[in-house]
Amino acid sequence: MRSRSETLAAYLMLAPALAALAIFRIYPIAATVWGSLCTESFVVAGKQIFVGAANYVDLMKDPIFWKTIWVTIKLNLVINPFQVCLAFGLALMVNQNFRGIGFYRLLFFIPIGVSLPIACVVWRIMLDPNSGLIDSLLAALRIPNQPFLISQNQALWCIVAIASWKGVSFWMIFLWAGLQDVPRELQEAAKIDGAGAVQRLLRITLPLLKRPLLFVLVTDTAVNFLLFVPMFLLTGGGPSYSTNVLMYEAYKTGFVYGEMGRALAIVMVMLTLVVATVIIQFQLFRQEQS
Amino acid sequence: MRNFVLGVCIHLLYLSIGFLFLLPLWWALASSLRPIDDIFRYVSPFSWKAFIPDRLTLQAYYEIFFSKGFGLAVFNSLLVSFSTVVLGLLINSLSGFAFGVLRFPGRNLLFVITVLTFLVPFEAISIPLYTVVRALGWLDTYWALIIPGVANGIVIFLFRQFFSQVPRELVDVARIDGAGWLSIYFRIYLPLSKPVLVSAALLIFLFQWESFLWPLIAVRSENLKVIQVALAGFEQRYQTLWNELFAASVFAALIPLLVLLPLQRYYVQGVTASGFKG
Repeated sequence: MRSRSETLAAYLMLAPALAALAIFRIYPIAATVWGSLCTESFVVAGKQIFVGAANYVDLMKDPIFWKTIWVTIKLNLVINPFQVCLAFGLALMVNQNFRGIGFYRLLFFIPIGVSLPIACVVWRIMLDPNSGLIDSLLAALRIPNQPFLISQNQALWCIVAIASWKGVSFWMIFLWAGLQDVPRELQEAAKIDGAGAVQRLLRITLPLLKRPLLFVLVTDTAVNFLLFVPMFLLTGGGPSYSTNVLMYEAYKTGFVYGEMGRALAIVMVMLTLVVATVIIQFQLFRQEQS
Repeated sequence: MRNFVLGVCIHLLYLSIGFLFLLPLWWALASSLRPIDDIFRYVSPFSWKAFIPDRLTLQAYYEIFFSKGFGLAVFNSLLVSFSTVVLGLLINSLSGFAFGVLRFPGRNLLFVITVLTFLVPFEAISIPLYTVVRALGWLDTYWALIIPGVANGIVIFLFRQFFSQVPRELVDVARIDGAGWLSIYFRIYLPLSKPVLVSAALLIFLFQWESFLWPLIAVRSENLKVIQVALAGFEQRYQTLWNELFAASVFAALIPLLVLLPLQRYYVQGVTASGFKG
């Protein structure tokens, strides 16, 4: 029943969205690959000169770039498993049913409406080493003042904490939806067979939650590899490059120093890292299945 | 008795985690309502009054709107978000209709490409996107903020999933009556899709309301600043005007929360459906 008018109508209806996706999503990806092999001309504004792998070679020679890669990897090795575990815990919590659960669900939802820049502004003041709320709460527990964001050793972990405060509620939603698809009868049957809560969690819930868990892990990884706002607002990549991640380095290179080609080369390295990590994650999940 | 103790423990656990989520926002709200000299008064040594302002004033809100021009940023964000929602709902639902209902060559391939575009995060392409938008001559205009966010693979996916579940007989009957495809979409499919419209609108709205990196690089002039960028500029310029920083933060969080919390259910539906059903 395929008719010509139907085909024509379909293409016309798709045209605006597909054209926009092609221009604003697909073309920029191609432009990243090409632009990373070019440098901008000083003579003619906006004109690109092909320089081959020069941008990449320059990057490889730069010790700060290697430090940036290491910081990005360190951050992601910690933040992604951390957030997925927390989100899973929260999902188990909101999936319970008792009087008053609606109120708690509302509380757990709050950070979804709070943007990352807001979270950063508020947390910076709370973490202020001179007069911050957190240090004074610690003082009440007789713990000495901490430098937090101005310390080389603590800044990155403060960013992990802030980004997780904002992020875990969002990932919780997916895992919660996954939990609702776990058949109740299965749980009941295992209970009758004498399986404890922990056993039921490990043997029934977790295996059935594999797909949403993998989805959350992969998407969360893509988000965190591109984490930018806390470094921009709170640390400027410092102290002494301890929070200088690839996305922030790319932004600085492109828009502060005006070296677009080099910035795009950094983006390419970053995207390669993301893809490699995601492939590893898929492999890990598949292995567990067999 | 044992059950009672267990119940108290459970509530304490939930309360302490809920408190952790609420604390920064609550403290921001309380602090935004105080005179600036009071902000750290009860913090060190710590007193419960840190969370309950005793001298209330709206001075900080007055200042950000009447002398710092924060209202303009709120207006810009609302304008950008709403325009994106309206345009986005229209063109993405049209595509969803085509993918979900119509039959045409290349349908599956195009659909897969569409969904794949969503997997590339917006931040990653923001730098090359800058060169695209510059070539279009849109830098420093509302267009730069609105148009790149309109087409959205995940929203197309949502509409496509919904429309493909509507019985096709409806279309056949309408076709026999001589209705055109566009009128079938407008008269039959669109009115059916209210829940998807709501969740798609929320997704697009929050995406635009929270976007930061793209507006930061696409727009330089003060009077086009969106709320998140204005907040960041504020943070960098007036680091010690704490009460005003808090007031701006509270206001920037208030609008999405007012939209989100009552419509929570739809948002969850939209987010989860975009995740793995299909």
